[in-house]
Amino acid sequence: MSAATTSNDHSRVWRVVIYTTLIVFAIFYLLPLFVMLVTSFKPLEEIRQGNMLALPMQWTIEPWLKAWGSACIGLSCEGINGYFWNSIKMVVPAVLISTILGALNGYVLTQWRFPGHKWVFGLMLFGCFIPFQIVLIPMSQVLGMLGLAGTTAGLVLVHVTYGVGFTTLFFRNYYEAFPSELVKAAMIDGASFFGIFWRILLPSSGPILVVSIIWQFTNVWNDFLFGASFAAGESAPMTVALNNLVNSSTGVKEYNVDMAAAMIAALPTLLVYIVAGRYFVRGLMAGSVKG
Amino acid sequence: MSSLEIRDVRKSFGAAEVLKGIDIPVDSGDFLVLVGPSGCGKSTLLNMIAGLDTITSGEICIDEQVVNTVHPSQRDIAMVFQSYALYPNMNVEKNISFGLEMRKMAKAERQRRVAEVSQMLQIEPLLKRKPSQLSGGQRQRVAMGRALVREPKIFLFDEPLSNLDAKLRVDMRTEIKRLHQRLGSTIVYVTHDQIEAMTLATKIAIMKGGVLQQLGSPDEVYNEPANLFVAGFMGSPSMNQLPVTLAEEDGRVVAKVSHKAGDELALPLADNPVYRDCLGKQVILGIRPEAITDPGSAESDSSLLYEAKCHIEVVEPTGADVFAIMELGGKKVVGRMRANCGVKAGEVAPVTFNMQKAVVFDPETEERID
Repeated sequence: MSAATTSNDHSRVWRVVIYTTLIVFAIFYLLPLFVMLVTSFKPLEEIRQGNMLALPMQWTIEPWLKAWGSACIGLSCEGINGYFWNSIKMVVPAVLISTILGALNGYVLTQWRFPGHKWVFGLMLFGCFIPFQIVLIPMSQVLGMLGLAGTTAGLVLVHVTYGVGFTTLFFRNYYEAFPSELVKAAMIDGASFFGIFWRILLPSSGPILVVSIIWQFTNVWNDFLFGASFAAGESAPMTVALNNLVNSSTGVKEYNVDMAAAMIAALPTLLVYIVAGRYFVRGLMAGSVKG
Repeated sequence: MSSLEIRDVRKSFGAAEVLKGIDIPVDSGDFLVLVGPSGCGKSTLLNMIAGLDTITSGEICIDEQVVNTVHPSQRDIAMVFQSYALYPNMNVEKNISFGLEMRKMAKAERQRRVAEVSQMLQIEPLLKRKPSQLSGGQRQRVAMGRALVREPKIFLFDEPLSNLDAKLRVDMRTEIKRLHQRLGSTIVYVTHDQIEAMTLATKIAIMKGGVLQQLGSPDEVYNEPANLFVAGFMGSPSMNQLPVTLAEEDGRVVAKVSHKAGDELALPLADNPVYRDCLGKQVILGIRPEAITDPGSAESDSSLLYEAKCHIEVVEPTGADVFAIMELGGKKVVGRMRANCGVKAGEVAPVTFNMQKAVVFDPETEERID
C-alpha cells in the first residue's frame, strides 16, 4: 500500500517537473512574439517609456496601417504593400511549378524507371545539400543570359530550380509505396502517361502535396539571400523590403512600424501552417510505416 | 473471343534467363491455366502477354497478329490483378467505366455496359462506394467487372483468388468457371494452386524454372504426367513414386517392389512394348493414392487389379476418405480408402492396386516411359 502511494507521489512529482519545464520553454519561445505584437499596437511615445513587456495603455492600429501603406523604404514612402504583392507573385508560381515538377519527377522515378534512375535521383538529392551562397554567381550569370536579371520571373526560376530537389525527394519517397499494379491496370485501361498521373496518382497524393506546398511556401517566402541578390529595387520581395524598412535611417526609429511590418511578413506562412498544418506531420510520416 | 499463340518466347534479365522458349497455342474459348511453383516464370509470361513486360525473343500473337511491340492498351486484353488494383480515389462505378472512358465511349453506352456487368456480378448496390469500403470478395468482383465491361479479346488473371480466404476462394472459383461457360471467352489464368488449375482449366500449362513441363487437358496432366515433376505437382496428396525393378512373370511385365510386411510385391503393368525394353532395370512407378484402396472400393471395371496384404503404418481420416500410409520399397505410400472400410494403424490389411492407372518413369531423365 505504502509502496504504491510512494510511486504515485513519485510520478506526480515528475509530471510537475515535466510540465513546468515545458511551460517555461513555451514562454521563452513565445516571448519575442508577444513583444512584437504588443509593440506593434503601441504608440511610439509609449515605447519610449521603455516598458517592453507591458500591454499597450492605448491600443492603436496606426503602425500597421503605416507599415502597409506609407512607411518609407529607401526613397519611396508607399509602405510594404507593393513588396508584399511581389512576394505573392513570386511564391505562388514558384511553389506550384516546383511541386508539379517534383510530382512528375517522383512519378517517373518510381513508375517509369529507366537505366540510371538511381543516379538521377542521387544527383537531385545532392542538389538539396548545395549551400545557397555557392550558386549565387553562376545563377546571376544564367539569369543575365536569359534576360531575367532583377525580375520576379527570374526569382521564380531560381526558387523552382532550388526547390525541385526537395519536392522530387518528397514525391519519389511517397510514390515508392504506390502500388505499381495500379499504374499497370490504368495502362491496360488505356490511360496515357499524363492521364495516369492526373487521374490516378495525383488524386492519391493529398498529404504529400500539402507537405511539399508548406515546405516550399515557407522556404520561398522567407528567403532573403536570393531575393536580395537577384531582385533589386521595385521587384524586391517582402523580406528584402522589410530589411530596408528597418534599416532606413532617416528620422526617428519607429519600432512599432517595424514590428507591424515584420508581423505582416510572417502572416502568410503562419496562415499556411494553420490551414494545412495537420496534414504536414501526417504527410511526412506517410510511407515510413506500412499500412 | 480470340486465339492466342505463344511462339518460342524467351525472357532474360541480364544473364539470367527466366523463360526458356515457351510454346503454347491457345484456341478461341480456351481456359488456359499457367501453373507452377513460385519463380517458374508464369507471372512474367502473363505480363508479357499483357504487354507490361518486354519480350527478349519469340512472338506473341493475338488473332494471328504479332503483338510484341503493341502497347498494352491496344492489345484488346483485360487483366485482373492479384491485389485487384482498384483505383482508390474512384468509386466502383468509375473504376469499372474508367477503361471505357479512356476509349472515349459515349456516356450513355458506358452506363448501359456498367449496369449490365454490375447486374451480372451482383454488385449494383456497391456502385457508389469507394474500394476501401468493400470487403475482399467484393473488391474481387469489382476487379472482374472492370475486366468484363471492356469485352476484350482475351482475359488475363494473375492469381486473382490468392488474397481471399479459403471459403470465398472456392465460391469465386465456381463463379469464374460459370462466367467462362456463359461467355465462352478466351482466358489465361496464372495460379500456383494446382486444385484451381484442375477445376478451372480446359488446358493446363505446367511450368518450372522457365521451362514448359507439360501442356494438356486437366485429365491428361493428371493421368499421364509427362515427368516426375508434373506427377508430383498435380494432385493432392501427390502421386506416389516407388523405386521398382521391372521383370517378366507369366508373359506379363511386373514391377517388383520390396515390402516390409513380407514378400516382394509383383505389381502387373499394362501391356506396353516399351516396358519390355526396360526389363531388369530400376524405374520409378507412379501411382495415384486413389488407385491404392481397400478391395471394396476398387474400380471393378479395371482389368488390372492386384490385391496384396500391406502393413498400415498411419491412418489419416479426412471425413470423406481415409488416407492410409504404408511403406513400399522403402518409401511412404499413401492409399485413399473408404471412410468406413475399417482399416487400422499397425495392422495388416488387404489393399487393391489399380495398375491400369499406374505410370512408369525413367529415374535418370525423370520422363515418363510409354
